[in-house]
Amino acid sequence: MLMYALRSRTLATLLVTGFIASGTTLEAADKDLPPRQPTPGTAAQRNHFEKHVRPLLIRHCYSCHSANAKPPKGGLRLDSRLGWQTGGDSGRAVVPGRPGDSLLIQAVRYDDDTLKMPPRKKLSEAEIRLLERWVSDGAFDPRTGQGGGDRKRGTADHWAFRPLDTTQRTPSRDRGWSTSPVDSFILARLQASGLSPSPEADRRTLLRRITFDLTGLPPSPDDLNLFLSDTQPGAWQRLVDRLLASPHYGQRWGRHWLDVARYADSNGLDENVAHGTAWRYRDWVIGALNADRPISAFIADQVAGDLRKGPAEETRQQRHDRLIATGFLSLGPKVLAEVDEKKMEMDIVDEQVDTVGRAFLGLTLGCARCHDHKFDPISTRDYYALAGVFQSTRTMEHFRKVARWHENPIASPEDDAAIQAHQGRIAAKKAEIATVVKTARKLLNLSPGADDKGQAKPGDIESQFPKDTRDHLKQLREQLETLRKSTPTPPTAMGVTEGKVSNLPIHIRGSHLDLGEVVPRDVPKVFRDDKSRPFSQEQSGRVELAQWLTSPDNPLTARVFVNRIWRWHFGRGLVASTDNFGQLGTRPTHPHLLDFLAGELVRGNWSLKRLHRMIVLSATYRMQSAPRDDAMAIDPDNQLWWRSPLRRLEAEALRDAMLAVSGLLDPQMTGSLLHVKNRAYFFDHTSKDETRYGVPRRSVYLPVVRNHLYDVFTLFDYTDASVMSGDRATTTVAPQALFLLNSDLVQRVSRQVAWQLLGSPSSDDAERIDRLHERVLGRPANGQDLKRCQAFLARVRKTLGPDANDRDVLAALCHVMLASNEFIYLQ
Amino acid sequence: MWNRRQLLHFSAVGFPLLALRGLLDQQARADIRDPLAPRLGHHAPRAKRILFLFMKGGPSQVDTFDHKPRLQRDHGKPLPFDKPRVQFAPTGKLLGSPWSFSRYGECGLPVSELFPHTARHADDLCVINSVHGTNAAHGGALLKLHTGSDNFVRPSIGSWVSYGLGTENSNLPSFVTICPTLAHGGVKNWGSAFLPAPFQGTPIGNASLSSADARVPYLESTTQSRALQRLKLDLLGDVNRRHLDAFGQDGGLEARINSFELAFRMQTEIPNIQDLSQESRATHSLYGLDEKITEDFGRQCLLARRFLERGVRFVQVTHSDTKVQWDQHSDLLNGHTKNAMEVDRPIGGLLTDLKARGLLEDTLVWWGGEFGRTPCVQGSNGRDHNPEGFTMWLAGGGTRPGIRYGATDEFGYYAAEDKVHIHDLHATILHLLGLDHEQLTYRYAGRDFRLTDVYGSVAEGVLA
Repeated sequence: MLMYALRSRTLATLLVTGFIASGTTLEAADKDLPPRQPTPGTAAQRNHFEKHVRPLLIRHCYSCHSANAKPPKGGLRLDSRLGWQTGGDSGRAVVPGRPGDSLLIQAVRYDDDTLKMPPRKKLSEAEIRLLERWVSDGAFDPRTGQGGGDRKRGTADHWAFRPLDTTQRTPSRDRGWSTSPVDSFILARLQASGLSPSPEADRRTLLRRITFDLTGLPPSPDDLNLFLSDTQPGAWQRLVDRLLASPHYGQRWGRHWLDVARYADSNGLDENVAHGTAWRYRDWVIGALNADRPISAFIADQVAGDLRKGPAEETRQQRHDRLIATGFLSLGPKVLAEVDEKKMEMDIVDEQVDTVGRAFLGLTLGCARCHDHKFDPISTRDYYALAGVFQSTRTMEHFRKVARWHENPIASPEDDAAIQAHQGRIAAKKAEIATVVKTARKLLNLSPGADDKGQAKPGDIESQFPKDTRDHLKQLREQLETLRKSTPTPPTAMGVTEGKVSNLPIHIRGSHLDLGEVVPRDVPKVFRDDKSRPFSQEQSGRVELAQWLTSPDNPLTARVFVNRIWRWHFGRGLVASTDNFGQLGTRPTHPHLLDFLAGELVRGNWSLKRLHRMIVLSATYRMQSAPRDDAMAIDPDNQLWWRSPLRRLEAEALRDAMLAVSGLLDPQMTGSLLHVKNRAYFFDHTSKDETRYGVPRRSVYLPVVRNHLYDVFTLFDYTDASVMSGDRATTTVAPQALFLLNSDLVQRVSRQVAWQLLGSPSSDDAERIDRLHERVLGRPANGQDLKRCQAFLARVRKTLGPDANDRDVLAALCHVMLASNEFIYLQ
Repeated sequence: MWNRRQLLHFSAVGFPLLALRGLLDQQARADIRDPLAPRLGHHAPRAKRILFLFMKGGPSQVDTFDHKPRLQRDHGKPLPFDKPRVQFAPTGKLLGSPWSFSRYGECGLPVSELFPHTARHADDLCVINSVHGTNAAHGGALLKLHTGSDNFVRPSIGSWVSYGLGTENSNLPSFVTICPTLAHGGVKNWGSAFLPAPFQGTPIGNASLSSADARVPYLESTTQSRALQRLKLDLLGDVNRRHLDAFGQDGGLEARINSFELAFRMQTEIPNIQDLSQESRATHSLYGLDEKITEDFGRQCLLARRFLERGVRFVQVTHSDTKVQWDQHSDLLNGHTKNAMEVDRPIGGLLTDLKARGLLEDTLVWWGGEFGRTPCVQGSNGRDHNPEGFTMWLAGGGTRPGIRYGATDEFGYYAAEDKVHIHDLHATILHLLGLDHEQLTYRYAGRDFRLTDVYGSVAEGVLA
């Protein structure tokens, strides 16, 4: 495997140059220009500058292009000679002696639609002529001092770019609290701040917490009994193992990953057509996590599955899985009706660079599309080096509006056989028709094909056939048509394949109409070292990219990944900005813990289940959630993890939990619930809503229709599904309450729960109330609960009148329980 | 190698370090606990609320508010200059407008015979003839118009305004969109993207429904009486408070208890606004509710006024049928005649009503589509999409009344004078609402984002 490490020397060069993309060119160009030290100039030059040029620049340019503009726009300063010599983001602003080549002059002339300065009002013709004269006279400028944008960009020394340091241990005074290596890191920081960890939560709370966390579902009464009755040591570990082995684990954690993959079953954006085969990617993610596929392979499959070599004994299905995994690259929203095809192509490439950057590296690479990254050491050159990889990859079948994305064929031998058999049936039917025609013609004494010479049309001849023959033919042709229509389509999966391999030129300011130097495909310069090899000339470079991403020496991938896992367990990452590990990201609260976990992930052959165990077997994970005054005074935001966070159920968990407690949940896994065909519109211009969500399957299987997400998803802070997100928000707004009060779903579930409670004939209100608490809240009702609920039932009976049936009355109580904070919040 | 011209190109285009400003601007960051609390903008506002009358499909500028005598004269001749590099569909020679124009008001604003009722308010209109955008397809253009971006997922302008100003009525959402189209960006056009969810628009109905059937989702229960619901809410409040007491202090749990009470109040407030029987017969007639052709859009306009009156900050109404309404690639004459007929009287009535109630003073009214149409013919009698130069108008809310701002070329193809890009329009609208488009930022994915990205300048000439 290629080895990559950071080299600060590269960075230093970059910073000194200030502008990596144009640095070398500027040096070369300097030779034919006057020296940087001002020359005294002639009296006429001095006079012209002081009388006309300086006042013009001050009046019209300084507000945006001087040291006082913070920051100078476009990185350009015009308040010193060095300013225009160095120029802004794209280079020198003035070429002495050559007004036509001077950007400043082009800008004030309003020559180009994209560059008009000053932006609000054009200078007068006389003013423009004064500036032109200044430039053609050699651009004398006596102003010394610093010019040019002084950038402060991150360096290789940025914490996230340093190699993992797994040797750090901070000693803590552990009095037997720790149950996992994780705890010592947490405890050390708590103790250093004068805090202590909260006590362990009770077993019912823990069961509910871990079951939702690992499977996204509430514990069943059986789960509860099993766990409560297991009083032997190791009960917690046995529970964790049981949950990690459940297929629901993959549904839950696969869904987390789908947030990062901006998974959706429709394109969204301008043309909202169905991603009819994206579900195969979703099912692959769920399956891969259930099988504990090493995360390195999980990542590499998604970037380069089509190119990676599988093991010799690999099955056809496994090969197809690798093709399906590349759906990751293709799932982004695309402007499919973009009239400018080249722009569409570059927008798609950009989306891929941005998503790969944020998903795996926590780097906002997309920022460098138009200009060097303002904060991280990523240049436009680096951006186009990566963009070349994706431009050499075939994501689209074509770019004509409405454009079509590529799909990889994944037919199994059975599919092939079925298609062949069907074609056989079509052929047989055709033969049958031919025979009937032939026989009938014979009866009419026509030689076969006589009408081919143009004497009569077949229809005319057939009209001479006897009626029963004509009827028979009609029937046969209908059968043929039916057969044709039911021809099975060979299965395909959204994904990528190789395209025409080429390197991309830098797109100046991101515009495909303004191209610069061609950049060889590569990883960002800051990550290259002596051992780096150029990317293949024969392939897109995704293999090299995947290898680099999953190299144990890559400082970011493992850190970013374990931080995501921590975020999904605890509601906040050790680095709170899960998708940004750059300069503007947040710093880790526990850097040593982060590095320890990242190191353990790599060391444990990238096993995610092993990582989960390390985290959830900890005492940290099992603390109570209740606030403590002493700790609130020091760390009100629980930055240091002195308690387990209180968390609202996510949209999917909320819906799934309701379906689960009512017994309505359909446990079927896998498959598509779309009822519109692949590439067909969910919404065309008619605004007719083609979405359907009435199926009681787990939420992860419901269609994710961009631009019109399921209400439950939208209301309860689901991701946008168009952009990747590793850190969903949690909001509390009145429309959520309206949904819980009035939606059919909640009322249906309430009636279903009531119906089940009424199922046992001998039960009375008190017993039903108790069972309702067990079922919905996972605990028995206490005396106060009982009293309150009984009083409520009496009032409801009175309100509903003498005709009220028991089910409606009880459903009202169930409804309240399902809307309660105790049900919706996890301790 | 670098080409010098390429190297130098663009250098002076503004590209501020937005993020730094955002870091210093913590005050502007919304408090999630009460995200819709009313907030002061950056400067004194000229408009307190805004109504966007969105004409889906792209009304033709040269047939409505951008009179081009030269186009009439050269009808049938070729366009004497280049068409844009990127066009939606091929077009032919110049097509004169089938409608005549007259001058209206003291300002003498030329308006075509398609908009006689609106034209009566000529002295209140601020017509911008030089609007231009970047995208020639409906989807991209709708997204650009509503969110400022046609290729990235960005918050809609209504969400930015909500984020910037909050709402004046805590029982109502701050941003309401009546009968929006679900196509061409759909929810994205009123979505909050990375802004917190409370700032997203609340859709009422959609373009495939009559405005009479437009409802806020889940506002009403079909199966329970209000009395039963009150009983449930009482128990729920009780249960939740006990849970909170047992748990200990927690802002999230408290907020959720309050959210149910707010929901209960919304259930009264919104149907009350939607109950148009409270309006006089004269008002119904003013908005055209008494005529079939104007009834649907008229109801949208009247609803919009009632929402605005009660403190909703941003209201959008959408004129769209189940086709792309103003999209006359062919049969311009009949299509535009019908479309204009449906909206003209309601818009005229709306302006009259707003003025009579003193609301026009501090309500910004904004009319327009996602692009205009080509002065060149498509097919034999249609016009293609044209984002290069088109017309929108503003009224009230601190705009300069009775003016035409900017101009297209002699044929109405390209914006030519005092050009107003969509970004400039956004900057101007925010400015009128008391918001500085460069200061209204939100930190996301390591950057401080703006509605206007790195572009936009306020069109000073349209300010009163």
